[in-house]
Amino acid sequence: MATEESPQVTRRATRSYSASNTAIESTNLPESYKPTINDLGFRQQPLRLEDLLSSFPGRRSQILELLRLLGPLNSPMFPILVYGGPSTGKTSVTLQVFRHLNRPFIYSSCITCYSPRILFESILNQLLFHRKDSGHSYSSVKRCERPSDFVNYLREALENVLTNLKGNSGKVSSKMSGRPDGTMVYLVFDNLERIRDWDKSSTILPFLFNLNDILKMPEVGLIFISNTSPDTYYLNIGYVEPIPLYFPDYTEGDLRHIFMANQTNSRLYASFLDVVLRPFCRVTRQVDELAAAFSSLFKKYSEPLSDKEVRSQPLLKAETNEETKKTNSSRMLGIREDFDKIDFHMSTSAKYLLISAFLASRNPATLDASLFDSTGVSDSRKRKRKASEKSMDQKEMAEQELLMKGPGTFPLERLLAIFQCITSLAEDSLDEEESHELTVEGGSRGLMSDVLLQLSSLCNANFIIKGGSCPLEGSTRYRTAVSEDLALKVARSLKFPLSKYLYRR
Amino acid sequence: MGREKEKEKPSEKALNLLRSRLSDPNFIFRPLSDSPDSNYSKLKFIISTSVTEACNNSILLLGPRGSGKVAVLELVLSDLLQQYPEAISVIRLNGLLHSDDNCALKEIARQLCMEHQLLFSKVASFDDNSQFMIAMLRECGLAHKTIIFVLDEFDFFAQGKQRLLYSLLDAMQSVNSQAVVIGVSCRLDVDQLLEKRVRSRFSHRKLLFLSPSKEDTERFMEHILSLPMDSSLPHNYAAEFNGRLKKILSDERFKELIDTYLSFNFTIGHLVRFLFQAVSYMDLNAGFLSLGNFKTALSSNQRQLKLESIRDCSVLELYMMVCMKRLEVKEQTSYNFYSVMTEYKSIHDSFQTSDYYAANVCLRAFEHLLQCQLISFIDNKGHNQSVEFRPVKLLISSAELHQGLKSYQQCPAILLKLMDR
Repeated sequence: MATEESPQVTRRATRSYSASNTAIESTNLPESYKPTINDLGFRQQPLRLEDLLSSFPGRRSQILELLRLLGPLNSPMFPILVYGGPSTGKTSVTLQVFRHLNRPFIYSSCITCYSPRILFESILNQLLFHRKDSGHSYSSVKRCERPSDFVNYLREALENVLTNLKGNSGKVSSKMSGRPDGTMVYLVFDNLERIRDWDKSSTILPFLFNLNDILKMPEVGLIFISNTSPDTYYLNIGYVEPIPLYFPDYTEGDLRHIFMANQTNSRLYASFLDVVLRPFCRVTRQVDELAAAFSSLFKKYSEPLSDKEVRSQPLLKAETNEETKKTNSSRMLGIREDFDKIDFHMSTSAKYLLISAFLASRNPATLDASLFDSTGVSDSRKRKRKASEKSMDQKEMAEQELLMKGPGTFPLERLLAIFQCITSLAEDSLDEEESHELTVEGGSRGLMSDVLLQLSSLCNANFIIKGGSCPLEGSTRYRTAVSEDLALKVARSLKFPLSKYLYRR
Repeated sequence: MGREKEKEKPSEKALNLLRSRLSDPNFIFRPLSDSPDSNYSKLKFIISTSVTEACNNSILLLGPRGSGKVAVLELVLSDLLQQYPEAISVIRLNGLLHSDDNCALKEIARQLCMEHQLLFSKVASFDDNSQFMIAMLRECGLAHKTIIFVLDEFDFFAQGKQRLLYSLLDAMQSVNSQAVVIGVSCRLDVDQLLEKRVRSRFSHRKLLFLSPSKEDTERFMEHILSLPMDSSLPHNYAAEFNGRLKKILSDERFKELIDTYLSFNFTIGHLVRFLFQAVSYMDLNAGFLSLGNFKTALSSNQRQLKLESIRDCSVLELYMMVCMKRLEVKEQTSYNFYSVMTEYKSIHDSFQTSDYYAANVCLRAFEHLLQCQLISFIDNKGHNQSVEFRPVKLLISSAELHQGLKSYQQCPAILLKLMDR
């Protein structure tokens, strides 16, 4: 993992004046710092080719091909589209290649630059050596929203930079001062797939893909990085496609190399990987997800080591193997595992509200009366059985329909009615139990405290989703996205018999 | 450009030369323009007559993307600018940038101001700018100066109300002006998009740009790739390079290769891109182009993108896709995550596969499939619904999936069996 992440970190630190800078990063530099032409390079010791190749296991052919396409110093290039799945090292490789070449480049990611205006301004800021600071209230150097303005400004800025670069390369001392080499400027657009979701994607994407033809400057190289393949950029106007450069997912062998890098106890980690890597690769081969899962598993794996030092090695191995297998067999990715452990720290009334919302979403409204009838639950069960006497086919169809439809919507009144029913039921049961158990929750008395406030906070936490208003009644309808497992868990914590009230077809 | 190293390798120099040639449209299209019936000659004739005879004109350059419309036009314009430096000013607009009328007029005003050393006001309104343009047209007409408007991506200007086109063409009709409007588009039916009032003011002269013939292609490749004998390159190196190149060009296998490439990418732009790739693959130590370079370039162009994406999937993701395929076979018209999960569970129940994972793990796999566009949501509505419930569809055909499964190394045998029934 270290090989994957460390370039990322250094890049952020070195290019901190870019639009994405945060408060923490800007403290690295003095306030009066003025970016210069040197900042277009990587501002670090250039990597040697061997180091570059060895720091990215399994990416040898991609690095060499990228170097070929970029070509020797000062040679023009065609636009390149670097693509491949997430966490296959596209961005890191591209940036480190520029560090190796020590050529000027502009990096902008469409994640941090989430609208055309911010994207354009970030590029211009970098080209015009402008750094946002409190002196001019964090404004950009130029206000630029339209592609047409952008092209004009960009051309101007690029010409400036290029004359600057050309002036440099004449001087002999340019090597010493850490200035970038060459008279080409490269524009790198990362996370291009994000643009497809922008409002103006239908004009911005063709514009970017045709930028090379529009600028008509051979000294400018364009590199697009995307995690979806080129065929997902359907444009109805067409364009001469950029040259594709594919980064395939890492193979199992590559992953082993990556995870073995920078491990202190390589023997232990190797034996750990022997156990874990293969089964996890069947689920995902993404480095970031695997790293998150492995870090917690490895802690567990090496736990016995720190507990008892006296154990002999083979015995330990066998035991820990068993343990990891157990964790594997539970088939939880580490990330999700943590999520499941989280206990809900919400008030009792909020929990009841959640359960009633769940019930309102799952059960058909017509059955509410029978389910919550004071005569009892058993009666409604009988009725339910009668209702479900249908042929298997129809049942299957209905099931499919239910799956497709998702949770139903409900008006606020119904939610409150169900809430009232189940809280009163709970209070009844509590009253009965009170004679036996004295340690019941004290808060159950104030269940009706401020239901609407609770509801709005549940809405904000996305447990309950506020849908569109009903066209007939004009009242807002709600639905809940809570899964059945979660609802059952919440019910269990309240000792509420949820399954009795669930209508099953 | 100052070179740090005086003694550069000749191969690197040659590579630099070839690459800059390939990215220079003037160099590429120059030799194609000498014959009298070429587009270059026709276009030059039309524009130069309207310059010398002081009349208005309009013309459309049509042809597929990459067929060199703009390149030829630029060639003509640069020649004419040399010929009549005082009598021409060129305004360039691009439909991708200036499709909005307001913005286009502003850009015209800006370029006119630049050309004539006038002060450009950013805050001028649409009316101001259009009056300024008409005034400029009149002035230029009086001074016998032709303004050439180049409208690239002409079809974008034909969207909406076409106010720009109307005011431009109308000014050319009514005022004593001297202007040429050149529309460039890759839509062959672009004149059908014009409104009646615009169409009637437009001369329907069209120049069609077609793909080059086979002989032209060969001549053209030799022109681009062979090194000049009288440059700073060592003489014997250039000679050997050209000799080897000739051998490759006359090779039957090479001709076949170019034919395959041109059969699906037939414009000069595509050919240039292909040559660029081949040239970049050139081995700098050997210093000569080889047939292998062209082969690699071809194979990097013939990608089966969906198969690549399938190869990037994990086994679990393959299971999900096979489940969807099975649902489709069962004629279940729409399905979402949960219906896929029931199918997945039923497969597990009947075959006891070793790959049975919890729903949240599967959801991750499902999201990854969505991300790499092997599946997509059927509709865009229902944004407030969570991912699990929104109906999806497969974006690959069953044949592709089958082929992908076969070429997948660790694909469980059961999956192929499940696909078949």
